[in-house]
Amino acid sequence: MEIKFGLISSDSHGQLGKDAYTSRMSAQKWGDRIPHIVEVHDERFSFPVERWAVSGEIQGGNVCNCPTAMKERGYYPQRWEEVPSEVYDPVQRLKALDRDRVDAEVLFPNGPGATFFYDDVAFELDCVRAYNDALAEFHRMSDRFIPLAAVPYMSPIDTIVKEIERAVQAGHKGINMLADPSTAVKGLKNLGDNFWHPLWRTCQELGVGVHLHASAGLAGKLSLPQWQGYTRRQAHCVSTLRNFCTATQIVPYLIFSGILERFPRLNWVFAETGLGWVSSVLEACDHEWEKHHLWTEGIVTRPSELFRRQIYVDFWFETVGIELREYIGVDRILWESDFPHITSTYPHSWDAVEHSLRGVSAGDREKVLFRNAARLYRLE
Amino acid sequence: MELKYGFISTDDHVQEHPEVWTSRMSKQKWGDRVPHVETQDNGAQLWVIGNVPQDLTVTAVANAKTANGALAPTRWDELPLAAYNASERLKVMDADGVDYSVLYPIVAGLAGERFGKIADADLELACVQAYNDWLIEEWASVSSRFVAQCIVPIWPMERTVAEIRRAVALGHKGVVYPASPMELKDVPHINEPVYDPLWAVCAELEVPLCFHSGASPKIQMRAGEAFAPAAALAFGAVVRSVSSIAVLANFLFSRVLYRFPKLKVVFAESSLGWGAYEMEYADYQSAADGLQSEEYSIKPSELFQRQCFFTCWYDQKSLRVRKYPGSGNILWSTNFPLETLAGHATRNSVFAEVPEEEKRQIQWKNAAKLYGL
Repeated sequence: MEIKFGLISSDSHGQLGKDAYTSRMSAQKWGDRIPHIVEVHDERFSFPVERWAVSGEIQGGNVCNCPTAMKERGYYPQRWEEVPSEVYDPVQRLKALDRDRVDAEVLFPNGPGATFFYDDVAFELDCVRAYNDALAEFHRMSDRFIPLAAVPYMSPIDTIVKEIERAVQAGHKGINMLADPSTAVKGLKNLGDNFWHPLWRTCQELGVGVHLHASAGLAGKLSLPQWQGYTRRQAHCVSTLRNFCTATQIVPYLIFSGILERFPRLNWVFAETGLGWVSSVLEACDHEWEKHHLWTEGIVTRPSELFRRQIYVDFWFETVGIELREYIGVDRILWESDFPHITSTYPHSWDAVEHSLRGVSAGDREKVLFRNAARLYRLE
Repeated sequence: MELKYGFISTDDHVQEHPEVWTSRMSKQKWGDRVPHVETQDNGAQLWVIGNVPQDLTVTAVANAKTANGALAPTRWDELPLAAYNASERLKVMDADGVDYSVLYPIVAGLAGERFGKIADADLELACVQAYNDWLIEEWASVSSRFVAQCIVPIWPMERTVAEIRRAVALGHKGVVYPASPMELKDVPHINEPVYDPLWAVCAELEVPLCFHSGASPKIQMRAGEAFAPAAALAFGAVVRSVSSIAVLANFLFSRVLYRFPKLKVVFAESSLGWGAYEMEYADYQSAADGLQSEEYSIKPSELFQRQCFFTCWYDQKSLRVRKYPGSGNILWSTNFPLETLAGHATRNSVFAEVPEEEKRQIQWKNAAKLYGL
């Protein structure tokens, strides 16, 4: 892949087209349960709105989460015809990348795609396959798209492993994982459970990283009860702000559970968490590791060294984490635009870059802006 | 105020001894519901509070002489005297170069949350008052170097406020309140205006309101079965401090700071690095979400600088970003006697590159002003 602009977004959101699932899943087998767009009434709007429907459940307060791709920035489209094609059509989307002067982007889901928990193992697996196939099409169209595979959590582990192998074969460069599957569906195992070891082994062997995005499913779990007195915007601000709390707990979890020691070549990527928290969490982990002599308990490597061996973190607006970069590890830092979500730097990503990287050496700039990502995703 | 060493530790804990409540609460009235220590058949001892058994120390205690390599003390005689005896504590403070020590509880909850779970409001109040009386009688009266902070009944507000007034009159200089009372009892969300009397009385009496980390176990991930026991303890200590991220996220936007501009709020056992980041993030995200148009006219970081404090004990690297909260909004501590404690050796290396005036601010000036010493 040619690096023209010198900027790779390690966290963007790829919206699948409206026929992505209906064209790939058996109508005979799944009928109306297949993810598709339906017209519904929403009391906030005077016109009939459209929403994604999955297995009979209507999703979200919009038809596509792309407020920074809209002419009126901040507006969430209510009907599919309002959604700019550069959000879901890979050919058009390349133009958005060019406009923002971004070389490549890692694609997390937008709309249905992160999980398909509808109490039906076979349905989940078919949805995941359709998602992984549809997103792989982006990559086939252009290697500037770096897709991450969805995980069929409810399947037996050998089925999960097979699906990930299949997805990686099709062009996926990592997997998108929940921080604690056991809190999502009863009967699923927590991240530290041996159940997942074959998956970690496979990802390690295939050289693809495990990605956790923002709160990675724990937004409503690791937070105080939400206050009903907040307006929509205020509630969004507060819930977004606390999302990185998950990462500050999962990093110690990966360290102290021994997962990193057990799978020493497996990479973990924390997207949309920012960086500023990392050095203090590593200081805390090192401090407690020394206090508790954990090298005698199987955690042989110092936590901050484990981090710098196996974990990556993303930033997009901040200066705190950049000032602390030498303690985080300049080789572990990635940049993201979060296109097309509300917090996105699009279409002025380079302004955000210059704001964050004031006074940073040319070598360090290149690392965090594209070299680290190119290495992690093995872009040739 | 007298300073010999130039250091005020703003987050230390007292270990309540077995007679704190039994000697102050009526056996006739409360029977076995008085918090007391029971010895089990295997010799291990437990606190029993309102008939609910609790760990002897709640958390590992440094320098405990634990038998059989146990991680936390399970018998009272394993605890170091300085954990629960004021005169012995003074010796430890002298050895470590601590002038004043701001006190938080252990058995009553690191964040003062334990008695909030008691359904009987009269029993809750009796337990709280016994603690507050004890802290004055056996600590603050022994030496003015102990800065007592009261715990309170979390609800109803008339009782909360009355106890704060009573305690401050006795000599308490801070108020410890759990950040998520709605998880302890069926009470309104902490952002609701019904809590205004709490903020108002703290502002009026000029005592800081202190949210210590760990008030809400629900927002701390639990170690899985794969964890070695010592690794699980280490994990618990790390996630306790960062769990305050969610508390700060809510509090910065709760409008309490807007309504009570004289209120001072301490985020105890917070550490600093994530806090600096959260402030920058709050400014960025509130602008992205357009909150200026919803009467959030002051930037979250400016509100914090006007009224809030982070409390640290070993974060050397994070000190590099101290300008975000500002050196005037950072307090230091030792965290004695918790196992996570850090003493003067840590302090010396942590502050090696901090200019003298900022060092004085963080090590004692901010605390002296905040607690009116």
